Amino acid sequence: MLTCETYLTPATLGQALAQWAAAPPGSRLIAGATDTLPWARQGRAGDVYVPALVDVSKVAELQDYEISGGRVRLGANLVMQRFLSDETLRAHLPCMPHCAIWFADDQIREQATLIGNIVNASPAADGTPPVLAMNGTIELARLVGGAVTRRSLAVSDFVTGPGTTLLADDEIVTAVECDCLAGYGGAFEKVGQRRSLVISTVCTACLVKPSADRTSFEDVRLAIGGTGPVPLRLNHIEEFLKNRPVTRDILRQASQMTDGLINSRTRRAYRGDVLSGFIERALEDALADCGVHIPSDSVREAANA
Amino acid sequence: MPDLKMDMTVNGRRVTKPAGPHMRLLDYLRDELGLTGSKEGCGAGECGSCSVFVDGKLMKSCLMPVAKADGAVIETIESLAQNGNLNPLQRAFYKTGASQCGYCIPGMVMAASAALRENPLADAEEIKERLGGNICRCTGYSKIFEAVEIARDVINGTLPATALDAPGAGQSYIGNNVRRLDAPGKVTGALRYAGDMVMPGMLHMQVLRSPHPHALIKSIDTSAAEAMPGVACVITAADVPGVDGFGVFVHDQPVMAKDRVRYVGEAVAAVAAEDLLTARAARDAIKIVYEPLPAVFDPEAAMGDGAPVLHDYAPDNIVKHIPIRKGDVEKGFAEADLIVEQTYSTQPVEHAYLEPEAGLAYVDHDGVVTVVSPSQNITHHRHMLAKIIDKPIHKVRFIMSPVGGGFGGKEDMIFQGMLALAAMKTGRPVRLVFSREESIVSTAKRHPARITCKMGLKNDGRITAVDFRMISDGGAYGMSTEGVMRKAAILSCGPYAVENVKIDTYGIYTNNTPSGAFRTFGAMQAQFATESHLDICAEKLGLDSFEIRRINMMRDGATTHTRQKLGSVSLGRVMEAAEQASGWQAGPPVSRGLARNDLGGPGNRRPCTLGARLRPGSEQLREEVA
Repeated sequence: MLTCETYLTPATLGQALAQWAAAPPGSRLIAGATDTLPWARQGRAGDVYVPALVDVSKVAELQDYEISGGRVRLGANLVMQRFLSDETLRAHLPCMPHCAIWFADDQIREQATLIGNIVNASPAADGTPPVLAMNGTIELARLVGGAVTRRSLAVSDFVTGPGTTLLADDEIVTAVECDCLAGYGGAFEKVGQRRSLVISTVCTACLVKPSADRTSFEDVRLAIGGTGPVPLRLNHIEEFLKNRPVTRDILRQASQMTDGLINSRTRRAYRGDVLSGFIERALEDALADCGVHIPSDSVREAANA
Repeated sequence: MPDLKMDMTVNGRRVTKPAGPHMRLLDYLRDELGLTGSKEGCGAGECGSCSVFVDGKLMKSCLMPVAKADGAVIETIESLAQNGNLNPLQRAFYKTGASQCGYCIPGMVMAASAALRENPLADAEEIKERLGGNICRCTGYSKIFEAVEIARDVINGTLPATALDAPGAGQSYIGNNVRRLDAPGKVTGALRYAGDMVMPGMLHMQVLRSPHPHALIKSIDTSAAEAMPGVACVITAADVPGVDGFGVFVHDQPVMAKDRVRYVGEAVAAVAAEDLLTARAARDAIKIVYEPLPAVFDPEAAMGDGAPVLHDYAPDNIVKHIPIRKGDVEKGFAEADLIVEQTYSTQPVEHAYLEPEAGLAYVDHDGVVTVVSPSQNITHHRHMLAKIIDKPIHKVRFIMSPVGGGFGGKEDMIFQGMLALAAMKTGRPVRLVFSREESIVSTAKRHPARITCKMGLKNDGRITAVDFRMISDGGAYGMSTEGVMRKAAILSCGPYAVENVKIDTYGIYTNNTPSGAFRTFGAMQAQFATESHLDICAEKLGLDSFEIRRINMMRDGATTHTRQKLGSVSLGRVMEAAEQASGWQAGPPVSRGLARNDLGGPGNRRPCTLGARLRPGSEQLREEVA
């Protein structure tokens, strides 16, 4: 059970930063809060007393998103369901609807934020691999002499290990910026114990831009989660695929380039097998998503037999 | 902790009642507003029993600090049936029999409402996906999905409203669909389970549980807890006035641990206080000094010499041994062309009913100690409790509240005694509601079993002898172990005619969580071994799996291994139906046909995936409706 002395709901970023900086040690900053209440239960943190909960979900500056200069700026309060329900986001971030559909369930996605998922820094976070693939940067704010001061970091640098990030004690994450990738095909592969409400054993985010004649890869983005302490971008496979033709053989070659990628504590062999399959399938699904013809499942199964 | 000012709209009415800052939206709705249609099944966002609309979006109210809902418009299950008239979804749930225990159903109806609000034309796959955050333990979901599809079509006008009517019952209940009389109360959230019930002056109980698998209790110091304002009583084994001990067969379990604890999660003391927070704080203030004892976690180790003994009455740690002997197994093995011996093991299983244990006890105006709980065995509990609290039977009353799923897991009187003692000690009503974690830690599981099966067969597939030895982990207390061992023994060799059998089932005490009743009551573990074994034997003999069973199956007029005379035996017809329905390809288990008839057919499930609403066409459909 979570008990708190004070529950604060600042309306502006300035207020939020001031309240957060002044909050007694042990206080927590929340947005969607969907991880906070399950955390304060028997078997995890147990009964937790928190001096203050600073709830940023009503902070005006952290709402919604903006698109400019080929980048999408996603506010810290943007909930996962928006990636499914918002047509503009779906068009510009083609991988995110596929990620979102596998994220928790419809109800939790209405409350849980992408940025909360990144900040929690679970090795199995579903939201982080797509952001890595979209060259995500994270914006952090703090008060310096009463003025809001911001810095930006690559998300790949920001997440440093299981549950750890470069977020300083007095900072609040305000946004994540990603490449606009309209015209790319997107895909997200995930396996866990069941469909909804499950932690990834392995997940893979993929974005593909085909060449003008739709026979080769112009650009590829691949990132994985659940395979080690932090999610990873697979630059070496991306480079291998660029300008290569879209053939089953090339996909298969790419799917075998997984040496050293599995650094999880358990089930390494299984994860290795899944990862190869996911790379191939994610590329196929992303190609299909942007209308590049690929063999149907039955043809693929026959070819694999 | 100052209260929070709240101002929200709940089911069309403005609500300004203050909230405690620890409250979740679920607590506020249930405890402050009395809207108990939203249930708590897990408290961790996994089950969806608490789903409500917040500003038009369905959310899990157990994941939402109440302050988040300040200013919001909330709709709960209670808002759906206006003036008691079920809406089309609720009527469809009623029609198809989608509610069984009913505990998940308010959340399920809410999730279905959300699905059809978001996409009135959602197809079956999309409906499944949109209900993915809600768990049901009883139905297997089919009736629920069927109900949502009927409601969708009625709402869209593609089915007439009469599609929601009950089918004619006909002249007989047999062979006709009969509506569940209790369904309206379940689909509207009106039905109150024990954890939904309140009484004036009611106290809240919390239980202190053992962190040790096996330890002596050297001392219990309740003084700090008793001194806390708001605490009405603290109870321990010392408060039991009568003969302490309950169980389905052997009464080996005290209401609270007496002198020693035997498993992690065993109740040691309980607090009743004015509110839950005080009860929890007082529980944590009880000081217990333990002296750990050697513990045993493997039933075979517990049977060995020098193993720690759990109960003085059973120095060999055997709860129950059930032997069955028929014919001469040595002779049967001597006649066999093939002898196959294998060992099988099964794991403990949690019942996982959606309703965690809960109960409410009070002493009525006539001095009758009354316990309201979802007990699956109230008469037996009443007799046991009378002895424990040293009252004549007419001064003890058990009322069975709606059981939000049992599956055997609510047969044991594991908390009712504590409630009765606290009600007697304080003279006030006392309620205890388990958390999901508490339920998993402290309640009985399916018996894990290790089974060695030795079977002799002729080359033509006839079984000549079976030697069946099953060792089951009974955990720390007897509970239903004796009955489970008996049924496992009776059904161990399956519905097969075998002349020579030697069967031994053992239920053994260990320091694990107690094992108890669970659907099939021991048969499942035994059948897993016997049926797996038959397939292995079929493979070795080059026989088809159905064939080896047909050769050995009991027929009309057969006598079972325990000398029960059977009139008719339907096994042959059952196997025939299963063979046809499964698209079976004849041959030994190792053979495989050219094509798989068991995949991709009309009756088969498709591979697990998500994204129905993202697939081409779904968007178009939605626009056509809009």
